[in-house]
Amino acid sequence: MKSKKPMMGESTQAEQDPAHGQVVVIFARWILIATGLVLMLWLPSPIEQLRFQIFFILLLAMANFYLHAQLLLKRPAVQAVAYLASAGDIALITLLILLSGGYTSDLYIFYFPALLALSVAFATRPAFAFGGAVICLYAALSLFTSAAARDLTEATTQIILARVLMLGAVVFAGNLYWRIERDRRQAALELQEPLPAPVSTASAE
Amino acid sequence: MQQVRTPAQQNAEDIFFGQIVLIWARWFFILAGIILALWTATSTNEITLSVLFVVALMAMNFFLHGRYLIEKPANQKMILGAAILDLILITAIVGTWGNDTGLRSQLFIFYYPVLLGFAFVFPRRLTTIYTIALLAAYTLVCMVVTPSMIGSMGDIKLLVMRLITLAATGGLGTYYWRIQRERRRAAMSRPGMNEYAARA
Repeated sequence: MKSKKPMMGESTQAEQDPAHGQVVVIFARWILIATGLVLMLWLPSPIEQLRFQIFFILLLAMANFYLHAQLLLKRPAVQAVAYLASAGDIALITLLILLSGGYTSDLYIFYFPALLALSVAFATRPAFAFGGAVICLYAALSLFTSAAARDLTEATTQIILARVLMLGAVVFAGNLYWRIERDRRQAALELQEPLPAPVSTASAE
Repeated sequence: MQQVRTPAQQNAEDIFFGQIVLIWARWFFILAGIILALWTATSTNEITLSVLFVVALMAMNFFLHGRYLIEKPANQKMILGAAILDLILITAIVGTWGNDTGLRSQLFIFYYPVLLGFAFVFPRRLTTIYTIALLAAYTLVCMVVTPSMIGSMGDIKLLVMRLITLAATGGLGTYYWRIQRERRRAAMSRPGMNEYAARA
């Protein structure tokens, strides 16, 4: 039977979980920013598109610097800020995909590290909500842009389906690991629980 | 009493608990494989051949999943062997499946969940070796099957972009694995029994 008394360190774990996961999100974002800048400047797109791309990447860099600084100063992670930042990543990747052709754009692969990071940073419900939103958004965007280009064939649909399945796989695997590790830590903490103070034998006599 | 674990014990525990992540990543890969095999085949021979491969993979994964469920999970060698098989299979798919192969193949995305699952289960050194092997295998199959890419800066850029995101997946996965191991160590070394013993 489960004890109602909170286990030692349970509240501490709940406080630390977002911080530990956010480290991964922040590093994933730095990878996205650095790679994005290099790739944008290597064989750049037309100037109108390039301006927007660089502007948004630099905006993301400033936001990530702020979040990284919060982590270095060991300030508590604010959940709402973490959610907003991850939503910002997804929005930026989606915007870049839209600007570079939708279904034909190869930039969808940046969803993979972004989804990996948020699947290990957030609890199951928000992780699946984000993952589900990305999958629906990307599927809709791909289907719409390929239909608009009169390129919505069986082969196109198959590829979109495969991409969507693999994005879902990354979210599922990442969050499953998050849950496994949470349970293992909890089990380790339970083993460290101090024994209750012994009943005095003098009073019994 | 403080829990003391040797590195070998910790590795064994990671494989014991974490292999289910690899197993589920493989189920997603199998599901995508079945759908594509049945949907893209244009003759009974094609369906037969591709379904045979998928069924063999399913049997292997079912065996591993079954062992996990009855609490007799597979050991490191078995899990490692299965992961290497995944790598070979996906590379073969990229190189041979369908009309678009090599760099043109869109099925390189199968690498992502498999690489992530590996990074969550195995120590950093093995994950680094596996990631490098995966990147090398993918680059090789692209260059061999699509030799025209070598002279095209656009194709090289595309390849580099894919390699970076694959490497990022492996790197972030193993980084998070390390964070979790340190957290578990910290949890195991919290004062508990020792505090009580000191008070008594």
